[in-house]
Amino acid sequence: MDESCISKPKSEISDWTAETQETSLRQKVQFAISDFGFEMQDSSNFKFPIRLIPRILSILTLMLCLGSPALLYSQARGNQPQRTGRAAAPIDLTGYWVSLVTNEWRWRMLTPQKGDYAVLPINDAARKAADAWDPAKDEASGNQCKGYGAAAILQIPGRLHITWENDTTLRMDIDAGSQTRRFHFGAVQPPNEEQGWQGFSTAQWQPARGQARERRDPALSASLGGTLKATTTRMRPGYLRKNGVPYSANAVVTEYFNRFSDAGVEYLNVTVIVEDPTYLTQPYVRSMQFRREPDGSKWNPTPCSAR
Amino acid sequence: MDRLARAAVGVSAVLIAATLASLPAFAQTDFSGEWTRIQEEDSALNPAVGDWFGLPINDAARMRAETWDASSWTLPEWQCRPHGGAYFKREPAALTITKEVDPVTREVTAFHAEWLRQVRIPIYLDGRPHPSPNAAHNWLGFSTAEWVGDMLKITTTHLKESYIRRNGVPVSDKATLTEYWIRNGDYLTWITITHDPVYLTEPLVWSSGYRLNLQQQVPPYPCTVVSEVERPKGVVPHIPPGANKDIREFTSRLGVPENYVRDGAATMYPEYQLKLKQGGVAGALAASPPVPASVPASVPASPSKVAAAPADSRSAGDLDIVHVRGPIYMIVGAGGNVTASVGPDGVLIVDSGAAEMSDKVLAAIDRLQKELTKPTERRLGYGSENRSALQAERTTAPPPKPIRYIINTHIHPDHAGGNARIAAAGRTITGGNVAGNIRDAEVGAAVYAHENVLLRMADPKPGQAPLPFRALPTDTYHTEFYKFSQHFNGEGVQLIHLPAAHTDGDTLVWFRGSDVLATGDVFTTTSYPFIDLEGGGSIQGVIDALNRILDLAFPEFRTEGGTMIVPGHGRLSDSADVAYYRDMVTVIRDRIQSMIDKGMTLDQVKAARPTLDYDPRYGSTSGSWTTDMFVEAVYRSLKK
Repeated sequence: MDESCISKPKSEISDWTAETQETSLRQKVQFAISDFGFEMQDSSNFKFPIRLIPRILSILTLMLCLGSPALLYSQARGNQPQRTGRAAAPIDLTGYWVSLVTNEWRWRMLTPQKGDYAVLPINDAARKAADAWDPAKDEASGNQCKGYGAAAILQIPGRLHITWENDTTLRMDIDAGSQTRRFHFGAVQPPNEEQGWQGFSTAQWQPARGQARERRDPALSASLGGTLKATTTRMRPGYLRKNGVPYSANAVVTEYFNRFSDAGVEYLNVTVIVEDPTYLTQPYVRSMQFRREPDGSKWNPTPCSAR
Repeated sequence: MDRLARAAVGVSAVLIAATLASLPAFAQTDFSGEWTRIQEEDSALNPAVGDWFGLPINDAARMRAETWDASSWTLPEWQCRPHGGAYFKREPAALTITKEVDPVTREVTAFHAEWLRQVRIPIYLDGRPHPSPNAAHNWLGFSTAEWVGDMLKITTTHLKESYIRRNGVPVSDKATLTEYWIRNGDYLTWITITHDPVYLTEPLVWSSGYRLNLQQQVPPYPCTVVSEVERPKGVVPHIPPGANKDIREFTSRLGVPENYVRDGAATMYPEYQLKLKQGGVAGALAASPPVPASVPASVPASPSKVAAAPADSRSAGDLDIVHVRGPIYMIVGAGGNVTASVGPDGVLIVDSGAAEMSDKVLAAIDRLQKELTKPTERRLGYGSENRSALQAERTTAPPPKPIRYIINTHIHPDHAGGNARIAAAGRTITGGNVAGNIRDAEVGAAVYAHENVLLRMADPKPGQAPLPFRALPTDTYHTEFYKFSQHFNGEGVQLIHLPAAHTDGDTLVWFRGSDVLATGDVFTTTSYPFIDLEGGGSIQGVIDALNRILDLAFPEFRTEGGTMIVPGHGRLSDSADVAYYRDMVTVIRDRIQSMIDKGMTLDQVKAARPTLDYDPRYGSTSGSWTTDMFVEAVYRSLKK
C-alpha cells in the first residue's frame, strides 16, 4: 500500500483532478506501468510480450496473497512460524463437560424400540439394516460399541473430558462407553485404513472475525473467541441411533464446537453434521449442549452397552 | 503465442476479480435469510401428556401440566395464540431473518425474526434499553443483542405466559431468555436458555437447528376464531388434580414407573440412566411409537439471573409512568395503579392512589402535562414578507390544564385514598342553565364512582374514622353503565358496573377511542384476586367481571395487543393476560367447589393446596392478601 495515499489523500486527489496536471499524471502512470515492462500501444495492434508472463504471474500471486482472508490473519501475526493448534486456540475447550439431555430424551436416555426411526433422514437400505438389528449379535461379535461411534457419541448422555494430548492434538475422553477421540491440527492427512469407532479427526480453528473496532483493538481482538471445526472420516460403521440405524464407513462427520456463557455458567454447544451417501438421504444434523463442571468428581467411565 | 498470452491475461483478470470479491468486507456475521427448521423430535412429533422428561420443572409446573386439558385450546381466547418466545424455535415453522442497517455506519442495528403463524420480533443491536418492567408483555418479548465474537447474544424480557412443551408444561411471564445465534456455513444454531423463577428449578438450555433455504417464503397465515366446542359461557376445560389417566398410559408405553415423570431436572443428567436401570427400564423398551402430528401447531423455574437492561420508563419519584396509548398513561407505584388521560381538555384519572402518595401522583401528572404542553420546534416556514416567527419562537409553555375528573374503580384506600388531596388540586368547570351561584362547585375536581362506593364511604364500619367530605364521590351512578356526556381528550369515556366482584361497587372504565380499559382490582397481575366479601365481593362476580372484560376487549393480532388493559396492580396487560387470569381463577374456583361438594372443611381444602400450581406466580405467605386468605374467601363465597 502506498503510504502517500493515506498521509496526503487530499493532495493526491487534487493532483489527480487538476486539469493542468493531466499530462504529467499520465506520464506518471505510464512510467509506473513501464516499470513492469509494459509499453503503451494501440489496442488494435496489441502484442503481448510473452517474456513478461512470469512477472505478471508474480504480481498476481502477490496480489492474491495480499487479498486472501486467510493470510490476513497470519499476516497480523507477522512472520512468526505457524503456531500449533494449542497455541492458536481462540477458545479453551479443556475441562470437564456434562451433557444436558433436554431434547430427544427418549431416544438418548433410553434405547428406542426396533423400528423407531422417526425424524431420521434414512433411505431404504438403512431401514432394512436397522430392521435386522440384534443387540445380542452385536454383543457376541464384540460390537457393543456400535452406538458410541463419532457420528453419535455426543448424543449419548455422559461427560466429556477435553485435554491437550500434545501441541497438535486435542483429546476428548468420553465416559459413556469409555471412548476417546483425537482432533489433529495442522497439515495432517487421514490414514487410508479405518480408524475404529471414533475414526480420524482433523481439526482447525475458525477465529471469530468480530466487528471492525474489535479487530483494530488487540485487547478486544483476543477476546473474540472462535469455533473449532472438526472433520471425521475413516470410522468403523456404527449406529446413528442405538436401535441399529446405521451409518457406513463412507460417512463424514463435520462438527462445530462453540463456547458460550450465561449468568456465570459456561456452556459448550456442538453442532454435528453427518453425511453418508450409503444410508442418508440428506445430512443428519443435531446440536448438543454441555455445561462446564468444576472438576472430574462426577467422571464415571462406563463400558459400551448394546442395549 | 498471442492467444496463450491473452488467455493468461484473461485468467489473471478473473483471478484478480475473484480475489477482490473475496476480500473480507469485515462485515458482522450475516444471519439474514430464509431458514428451514431441521427435523427433530420437538419439531416433528407431538409430545404425549406426561412426557416431561428432560425439563427442569418444579412441582407447580408439573401440577399445571397434569391438570392441563388440550380442550382448553379451543377457547376463543386461545385459538389464535402463537407459541411463546421460549418455545417457538422448537417448532417446525419456516423462519425468515431480515436485517436493518444504519445508513451512515452501515452496521446492523437490528435483526427481525419471523416464523410461520407468528408475529415478527425485532432484535435490537443499537444499544436501546428494555422497556419499563411495567410495560406490556407479548408472545416473543422484547429483545436486544450484542456481538460475542461472531455469535449474537440476545437478551429477551417482557414475555407472556406460554409453554415449553406442547403438552401443558408452562413457562411464566416472569421468564427471561438468553439466546445465542451461531452460524456455521448454511446452518444456523439457535441456542435458548430459559430462566423462569416461577416454574423452572434451573435454566433450561435448548439448541434448535436451521438450514438455509433458497426456495422458501414464509406465507401469510391468517387465523379466524370459530366455535370449536359448544360449552356454557365461562367454562374453562381442565382436569382435576390426580385424575389424569393419560400420564399412566404414557409411562406404561415407555416402560418407566409413573412417578418418574415427577423427577424434573434430574432427568436431564447422565446419572438418571442409573435410576432408569434400577427401575428396570434398561435395555430396549416397550413400544414408544411416535405420535402423529395432528395437534394444533400453536399451544408452554430457577431464579432469573438475567439482568435486564436499564428500563426505558419515566419515573417520577418512586412512581413509574408508562404510556399506554394516545392520551392515556399508567402511573404505577402509588398504591393501586392510576390511569391518567392527559390532554387539551385537562386531566382525568382513574383512581387516586393511596393518600400518602398523593403528592407524588400530582407531581407525576404535572410532569406529564408539562411534557405535553412544551412548545414545539418551529419548522422552516414561509411568508416572511408578511410576518415574523419570532413571537412564536419566544413563547413559553402555557400552564397545565386542570385535573377535572377522578373516577374511583372501588372503595379501597389504595385506590381512592388520594381523592381529597388530588381533587382539591383540580377544578370543575361549571356553568349552564342553573339558578343561583354554583361557583362553589368549581372548587376541586369531580369524583365519580358507583353509588355503592359513596354509600360505603359515607357509612364507615365501626371503628373507622369518617372520611372527609372532599374525599367522597361528588357524582355517582347506579345503572349498568354511565357514559360521560361529552368526549374528554378526544374520546368517549364509559363507566361499567361490575356487580359483586372485588366489591359491590366496582367500576370498569373504558376509554373508547384509545381502546383502553382500566379494571380496578377485579384484575391484577401481582396476586390472586382480593375478594372483599364484607365489601360485597364474590368469586363468581370476579369471574363474571373477567369474562366481561374479555367480551369487550379485542386483540390486535395473534392474541396480543389491541385493547390495552390497566390492571388494579401490576403491569400493563392485554386480553391474553386477562384470559390467563380468568382461567386461573376459574380453575381454582372449580377445584374448591369440587372439594366443597365432597364435604371437605375449610382446613381440609387449605391442606389440599388447590392453588399449588399457581402459588409461585400469584401466591403469598405474608402481607395483606395471602394464599390462605384467598382460598378462604373463595371457600366462603362458594358456601354462601
